[in-house]
Amino acid sequence: MPLRDDFPILRRLVHGHPLVYLDNAATTQKPQVVIDAMNDYYTQSNANVHRAVHTLAGEATDGYEACRTRLKSWFNAERAILTSGTTEAINLVAHAWGRANLVKGDAIVLTEMEHHSDIVPWQMLAEERGVEVRYVPVLEDFTLDMDVYAASLEGAKLVCVVHTSNVLGVRNPLEDIIRLGHEAGAKVLIDAAQGVPHERIDFDAFGADFMAFSAHKMCGPTGIGALLVRPEVFEEMEPFMGGGDMIETVTIEGSTYQTNEHKFEAGTPRIAEAIGWNAAFGWMEPLDLKHEHKRMLEIARYTAAELRTLGMTVYGRHDDEDSAVVSFLHPTLHSEDLAHLLDARGYAVRTGHHCAQPLLHRLGISSTVRASFYLYNTMEEAEQFIAQVKSILERFA
Amino acid sequence: MTYPAQLVELIEEFQDADDQMERLEMVFEMADEVVLIPIDDWSDQTRVVGCQSEAHVRVSLDDGKVLMAGAADAQLVQGLMGILTIAINGSAPAQALLLSPEFAQEMGILKSLSPSRSNGFRNMFDKVMLAIRGLVE
Repeated sequence: MPLRDDFPILRRLVHGHPLVYLDNAATTQKPQVVIDAMNDYYTQSNANVHRAVHTLAGEATDGYEACRTRLKSWFNAERAILTSGTTEAINLVAHAWGRANLVKGDAIVLTEMEHHSDIVPWQMLAEERGVEVRYVPVLEDFTLDMDVYAASLEGAKLVCVVHTSNVLGVRNPLEDIIRLGHEAGAKVLIDAAQGVPHERIDFDAFGADFMAFSAHKMCGPTGIGALLVRPEVFEEMEPFMGGGDMIETVTIEGSTYQTNEHKFEAGTPRIAEAIGWNAAFGWMEPLDLKHEHKRMLEIARYTAAELRTLGMTVYGRHDDEDSAVVSFLHPTLHSEDLAHLLDARGYAVRTGHHCAQPLLHRLGISSTVRASFYLYNTMEEAEQFIAQVKSILERFA
Repeated sequence: MTYPAQLVELIEEFQDADDQMERLEMVFEMADEVVLIPIDDWSDQTRVVGCQSEAHVRVSLDDGKVLMAGAADAQLVQGLMGILTIAINGSAPAQALLLSPEFAQEMGILKSLSPSRSNGFRNMFDKVMLAIRGLVE
């Protein structure tokens, strides 16, 4: 598979065995072009952005801003704020929009499927401002209860929904969620951390007011992500972090602020990371993401079906728009034990609550083993994985 | 770090294992060494917080010597408790407190000893040492 050759880490051994990396919902591996772009920046162009006039500063600024330009064209968005990742992007909405626009008695609608990153900032805001938080339950078929969602919109000012569950792989009916939310007068934030790696989203057509996501789940570096904002909602946001880069003027009496995205990017930004992320987009650009998504789903479906025959309970769904995530549990062999045993043969999977404890509580479990597939994974790896799980069960279960 | 003789022997056995899978199998077998806390006695006081598995430890003194009991739903975590049991049970508290957690790395079982929610061993080790300190202070 030629694509795999772009990822140097896939050639390493773990405990003497070839690495089979199946923890992509946590973070993806980086192609050589991303590593090279960051390395080139530090060896050739390292400087601070935006104000100095020397050559290096110009190159650094161009490299940083090129990432924003790429984000806007990739997602068809007018406003793209660079953040440290999805978590900071959601917290930015809570601080910059939430604190400026929500008052006691307002309601925020979340779901039980959210990552902690899309729960905790709202709980903190609710406690501070007396805002009500409502949760849409997850049904037995792993989907959201849309009747409860529709009913919960009464008086809601903000809806925050995960695009695709990092545990279940379920892609939510976002088009309906956004439409209903807007009809009720609420703004809609989509946590797309697990969505953008699998689906090319047209943000303007999508209709959400905010969309948060991270670079590192789509072959980019860690430490950088973005918040896309509709232009009219962008104007409703107040500065959150104060400092350099976000100001227009500073006097002893007070300060005025930038009017563009820099208003929300105080301090020296993540320059190398932005350059690396732009390189990741460049690497992904020629790929047929729809075709790749279909291929990954076939791998996930095969894996889920085989795990069931081995006595595992699989939590989640693999319909055409869902992601290639397979969460499962064995009735007797603990998830942590299985993960350690798989690691001994070079297989990287994740275990635990996946930062989604309310969801796992709803499912009546405290952890799962999660195998998540991405662009460089192959059906052969899935077949080897199943054979290894079978061998472990024969020896240890 | 100087380890008690029984632990030195164990470390050597683990280092001699053919591969990581065999090493983990040996840890699994160590689970039988644990003086078990019955499930009915599991409580918030015995729970190892920040552990992926449900893990419990309790430390007392028996004739002035350390007596650690434990239980975990993950066999690997209980196996690590078994190794700790061999290392400290029957020791004077002051001697038990000299133990550092690096032996799990030297055995080749764990790569990282950083406290984290995925590191059941480290969280369990810290809780046991804290309990021993509480008994003698």
